[in-house]
Amino acid sequence: MTESASSHVSQGNAGGVSLRRVSKTYGLATVLHLDELTFRDGEVTGLVGENGAGKSTMLGILAGTVTPDPGGEVVINGEPVPPGSPIASQAAGVAMVSQEFPLVGQLSVAENLTLGLRQPGSRGIFINRKAMNAAARAMLGRVGLDVDPRAPVSTLSIPARQLLEVAKALGRGPRLLILDEPTSALGPLEAGLVIRFAREHAAGGGAVIFVGHRLEEVREAADRVVVLRNGALVADMPVAEATDDRLIKEMVGKEHLASVTADHSDADHSDADHGSVARPAPVFTAEELTADGLGPISVSVSEGEVLGVAGLMGAGRSRLLHTVFGAIPFTGGTMTLAGARYAPRNTGDAVAVGVALVPEDRKQQSIMANAPVRWNVTLATLRRLSRSGFLSPKTERARATEFAGRTGARFASIEQPIGSLSGGNQQRVIFGKWFAAEPKLLLLDEPTRGVDVGAKAEIYGLIDEARARGLAVIVASSELDELFRLSDQIVVLRRGRIGRVLTKEQFSKEQVLLTASGVKEGP
Amino acid sequence: MTTSQAGTSHGDRRDAPGPEEPGLVARRSRLRAIVDIPEFGVIAACVLVFVIVTILQPRFADEANLQVIGLDLADYGLLGIGVGIVILTSGIDLSPGAVVALCSMVSAYLNVNYNVPVGICIIVSVAIGVVIGYLHGWFVTRLDVPPFAITLVTLTAAAGGALALTSGQPISGVSFFYQDLALSKVGGIPVPDIIFVAVAVIAWILMERTYIGRQIYAVGGNREAARLAGIPVARRLVLTYVISGACAGLVAILVIGRIGIGDPSVGSGWELDAIAGAVIGGVSLYGGEGRVIGMVFGILLLMLINNALIVLNVSPFFQEVALGLVLGVAIVADRIRARSRGQARPRGLPVFGARGSEARGSGAQGSEARGSSEPAQKPAPPT
Repeated sequence: MTESASSHVSQGNAGGVSLRRVSKTYGLATVLHLDELTFRDGEVTGLVGENGAGKSTMLGILAGTVTPDPGGEVVINGEPVPPGSPIASQAAGVAMVSQEFPLVGQLSVAENLTLGLRQPGSRGIFINRKAMNAAARAMLGRVGLDVDPRAPVSTLSIPARQLLEVAKALGRGPRLLILDEPTSALGPLEAGLVIRFAREHAAGGGAVIFVGHRLEEVREAADRVVVLRNGALVADMPVAEATDDRLIKEMVGKEHLASVTADHSDADHSDADHGSVARPAPVFTAEELTADGLGPISVSVSEGEVLGVAGLMGAGRSRLLHTVFGAIPFTGGTMTLAGARYAPRNTGDAVAVGVALVPEDRKQQSIMANAPVRWNVTLATLRRLSRSGFLSPKTERARATEFAGRTGARFASIEQPIGSLSGGNQQRVIFGKWFAAEPKLLLLDEPTRGVDVGAKAEIYGLIDEARARGLAVIVASSELDELFRLSDQIVVLRRGRIGRVLTKEQFSKEQVLLTASGVKEGP
Repeated sequence: MTTSQAGTSHGDRRDAPGPEEPGLVARRSRLRAIVDIPEFGVIAACVLVFVIVTILQPRFADEANLQVIGLDLADYGLLGIGVGIVILTSGIDLSPGAVVALCSMVSAYLNVNYNVPVGICIIVSVAIGVVIGYLHGWFVTRLDVPPFAITLVTLTAAAGGALALTSGQPISGVSFFYQDLALSKVGGIPVPDIIFVAVAVIAWILMERTYIGRQIYAVGGNREAARLAGIPVARRLVLTYVISGACAGLVAILVIGRIGIGDPSVGSGWELDAIAGAVIGGVSLYGGEGRVIGMVFGILLLMLINNALIVLNVSPFFQEVALGLVLGVAIVADRIRARSRGQARPRGLPVFGARGSEARGSGAQGSEARGSSEPAQKPAPPT
């Protein structure tokens, strides 16, 4: 690292893959800023960090799917790689196994494996099916996956598809193998297998990046662990030093250092104490609630209370809210709303009795982008707005103006398409939609995703207002600061179940992360 | 994603109205209000075609010719409204032409061979359309069959059924009531046009002035958002196919009257004109956008051009080419307008079963969750 600054291509560190002065900004927000980070050949580098720490951005830059800010460079084996080109990255030897499976479901296993490769044994544009299947069989053999190369991918189980992804990546003979949470969909057995492939690939002289939420797995796989926080590299340590406490401290930030040990000591008996505190009668309760991939879960929320839901991606946060809202059928357990039995068969049932859901993905699940603000505000209350089926434009407009105004949403005209508003204003309109429905229980899934900082505070204000009016609120979020700001209590979900319940005094990122990532089993 | 808050810390700034001088606005606003009507283009085109063709060939505006146009307008217009409402949900109905054939054959068959009273034959015709529409809706909502596929099945089967009923022979000797209905005029206006206008008004009220119509728009605009707002998506979808089927059943009656027989080959290809008319009138194949008034004028424009080409003695082969071009212009114009409003079309191929959003999104909703339970839904109590 100390060679002369004038030399452009550094000779001293030719092996491996380096990121130099790489940064990425979106608008005003810098999401990644690295001076120098090298993934060395023959080594598995574990990569950890909270949501939003910049992991995905960094991996995207390596894979060529994200274009970094000008000035930075990705150097593979001493050669700079053209930025922002997936083809160039692939040609330079980067292969990535991602959390989602970009496989073509209708094509066969063999076709997926050889997709984008030069077709084995092909003549001209014609596919040599025999050679292709043979090549595929060899690739499958490497990962010990016993499936028919001719079977369509859509018939494979999720773990098998994940392993197929690994086979596909390994089949390219990559120099740098990126495994982005490769084990999140796998059982312990397959997870162990993937970790072995990572080790073998490194032993064969390749470089590996292993991203994981489960810290134990990261430790098992990696030689060295790097930690990102707020887009910066904050720690780089050999695996021997990477204890849970150390990693979580680095992920969360040093200022929380003191609370780690403190919370550990009193965590175990505090839950019982708080259970006995008298609370007002609950607005909503769920007993042993189950749904596909969820539960059994028991929770209750009272008037004016906010229950936070934390957990890793795939832990069942959204699933819980959607089940309560009737958007996913519940398969067992009982729920009550305002003292009465509540068993929604669909979303209409939920809305009718006073349950509202602000879903996570505004564009896909909330708004009709091309329709006016007015339509979006009245969407959930059309029926009660109309008299014997007829909708009076005057009444509707008055109603829409009233409730959009109540949330402080700003727009030029109520007839303006909602898609032309900023994210924050769109979200306010969506809140207006549900306030108009006068719910008793308000379910919020990532309520501030995709809104800027100022709007965020205003949305918190709306949530505070809702609770002040006596609504019960359940809010799921991947941002822990947000949950701490809003919640009276937090349940931490892990694999569809409640790992732990935290009361206000127990709120700390360490506690949540320890439970969510499975290091610590809850009561 | 292209508008990533460049240069402003307040994303909200973008919502403020642009700077405009008040005086100018007042003078222009009237004209702008008219031009800004999405259907302005198609209405203007109707006027333009009418005027130009009349100048070229005054016979075009004769009362007799206008009545011919009127009869065509009634047939295709009824189909166009039905199909147009289906398209608003980002669905499609390819069956109307074939359903017209089947319904008219069954209606005529019952009337002639079993002496069933004509009133009942008319009801049966519409009822067959309703049942077929209901089945379409059932398959689309319960079995997730793409609308394109299931209505293609009906297109083939219903056309075949119409032929099979009499081994391809037309049925003559139908009640004169059919002809009285289809060919009489009130104050010079053909009765089918009065029926058409009545249906158009009802459709307009349904779509613009009832909550059901708005919910249909919502289902087409963003199916998942509609579902998560408590709207019974499946029931609304079924309703649109029922409307389309009923319209086809109604057209079948008018067709018997117009040609005086039950003809098994009638209606072939009509669905394409109906779809084209709706699209020309501004109905987006992606769903959620378009209005009844546009459907009406879209079909009218098609009928005017169709007739003009005959009156102007254009070769029938070129007539088809011309109609294709009109459709092309309409679609391109729609895309340009949408683009100038800065809208992207995020979804996949329309028509081939654009299925809203269950493939995207959080993964919180399983495919088993959607649609399956809606038909059993209890209505919300009005507050």
